Amino acid sequence: MQLRNQSTGSPLKNVSLAEKLTLATTALLGASANAQQVDAEWNYSASLLAYSEPDRVSATELIVTADKAYGDAAKLDLKVVLDSLTGASANGAIEQDNPQTFTRPSGKGQFVTAANSTPLDDTFKDTRLQIAASWTDSITEQSRYTIATNLSREYDYRSVGASGELAWDFNQKNTTLSAGLSFASDEILPEGDIPLAFSSMVIDQGQFVTEDEYWNAFDATRIAESDTVSTSELLLGWTQVINRRMLVQLNYGYADMQGYLTDPFKLLSVVDDNGQTQDLVYENRPDSRTQHSLFALTKYHFDESIFDLSYRYISDDWEMKSHTIDSHWRFMTIGGSFWEPHVRIYLQDAAEFYQPFLAQSQTTPEFASADYRIGDMSAMTVGLKYGFQLEGGERAEVRLEYYRQTPNKANQSSVSGLENIELYPEVDALILQFNYYF
Amino acid sequence: MLKKIAILLLVFPMLIANARANEEIPTIDISQFNGKVVYLDFWASWCVPCRKSFPWMNKIRQQYSDDQLVIIAVNLDKKRELADSFLKEYPATFDIYYDPKSLLAKKYQIKGMPSSIIFNKNGKPVFAHTGFFLDKIEQYEAEIKQLTASSK
Amino acid sequence: MGIRHKIKLFFAVSLLIVLSGCSSWGVAPWDRDLLAKPEMAINSSPLDQSIDDHIYFSKEASSGGRSFAGGGCGCN
Repeated sequence: MQLRNQSTGSPLKNVSLAEKLTLATTALLGASANAQQVDAEWNYSASLLAYSEPDRVSATELIVTADKAYGDAAKLDLKVVLDSLTGASANGAIEQDNPQTFTRPSGKGQFVTAANSTPLDDTFKDTRLQIAASWTDSITEQSRYTIATNLSREYDYRSVGASGELAWDFNQKNTTLSAGLSFASDEILPEGDIPLAFSSMVIDQGQFVTEDEYWNAFDATRIAESDTVSTSELLLGWTQVINRRMLVQLNYGYADMQGYLTDPFKLLSVVDDNGQTQDLVYENRPDSRTQHSLFALTKYHFDESIFDLSYRYISDDWEMKSHTIDSHWRFMTIGGSFWEPHVRIYLQDAAEFYQPFLAQSQTTPEFASADYRIGDMSAMTVGLKYGFQLEGGERAEVRLEYYRQTPNKANQSSVSGLENIELYPEVDALILQFNYYF
Repeated sequence: MLKKIAILLLVFPMLIANARANEEIPTIDISQFNGKVVYLDFWASWCVPCRKSFPWMNKIRQQYSDDQLVIIAVNLDKKRELADSFLKEYPATFDIYYDPKSLLAKKYQIKGMPSSIIFNKNGKPVFAHTGFFLDKIEQYEAEIKQLTASSK
Repeated sequence: MGIRHKIKLFFAVSLLIVLSGCSSWGVAPWDRDLLAKPEMAINSSPLDQSIDDHIYFSKEASSGGRSFAGGGCGCN
């Protein structure tokens, strides 16, 4: 690489974005842009995502990555993710034929859900910053290691993680075996602190004479300001070249999570024999979870297109099981552009403690959650991506996806009064994404 | 002499078999370079380390005279256009041979891309390398130096 | 058959396949022209992958399998 002499050159007027970023990145790493003899250049990519669930959550996410090769086999990868989330999310309570009042998670203020509509907590507003770095290098000509670290910070959540992986090539690089370990430590600091499991939501309906009285009652349902989760993962992989056009990958993964796995914002409605909500209580999940996963992927290069298909099976000790089928088919055209349809099918069996509500007559179980995300469901994604080359040789991609989540209504309750109530609302989302490689 | 014959025998059937095919068929007879060291390289447009080996081969091409060293880079792309566009980006000052059917690659049983074989002045293969590593440039250069300095 | 047994069996079978079969699979070094394309890499669209992982992690109860799922998201 011919290094540009920045000290005598004019300011960054005619310098490309990639070059500006190179300066910024080298400055960030404390290295001088001129003090290296490595011939590789930084590669950058960026992605901008708009995610929208009508009437619910909307999110924007920006990802910027930079990578650089060093010497024969070493490579540094850096990634920064910034996302912001606003909108409303189902809080777990069931809809009623009369309006319902909820206390906001912070305890400050209330919101009212109209009759016959799914209660949504509209207080979600969060910004997340994530920084990740990974370094890979060869050990021998047939083996290499990767070490990575990951930091994530949002208003009510912090995470620190590190991972390491070893990979070995065999059989003229036609077979690769890999083994990796990963650890993450998360801290949850929810707005309004951590609620006591199954305690009733304190709702000010005029029963409190003073504000102090209300806050005493509210604070009595809180147990801690924060809690932690630690996650350990093992991932074993086998990649095999089948022939000139085809390869397969098979992974086994084991994950163990310990700590506060409950969602502090999620509620359960306690209903009487007529389906009328009598109480709203905070959910409770086990404080450990172990998960096994199998993942199989194949890629096939046709003359003018590339097809991939993957299947993933996940099973955990919450008795949640899931099957995922994911497939892309990239059709290349002359001039470096391509069209790529995408289909994803997801099937999930509920966690054993999932229930859409609690019956008043029932004794309180040890664990319960009405979070639709751990219920029986199926989901489907269809998408299309278009990739093209720009005049300067840079590449860009636009991706549009539609995601629809449909809960299984097989376990619909027999409680009278709830027959006509939508216990399991569907979720739709639109995803628009723009990728740029420079 | 026996070795020369052996090399000829290796290459010869291929020449016969493809004698009437197009002109891209490689005809490498190492013995014709008798008295010179031959650096035989195998490359392809899709081979990433080849982008590093080309500038280096240009450099050693400059360091030695044509009487001392022959550099032959055998292209293994299946389509000539791919090789041509690589060469536009990484121009070569040494000889390029085209072997779209990988016949030479099979003969020499190369184990990776790029691969190189260094023949001494008598046409005997002395050193072979799989891959091209910046870390090993000193070694490659020392080997060439040793063989060119040798009287055999 | 329990999940542990299934996994053990899966491992035994895949190890057998690796040890016996894989030497007959594969390509010669000079036949990697298609496999060498960036589009043929196992993770050829890391940006999409990262975004998909984030979305499905926050909408579904299972994550990971392909690569490390990691922590770091209290997303709703």
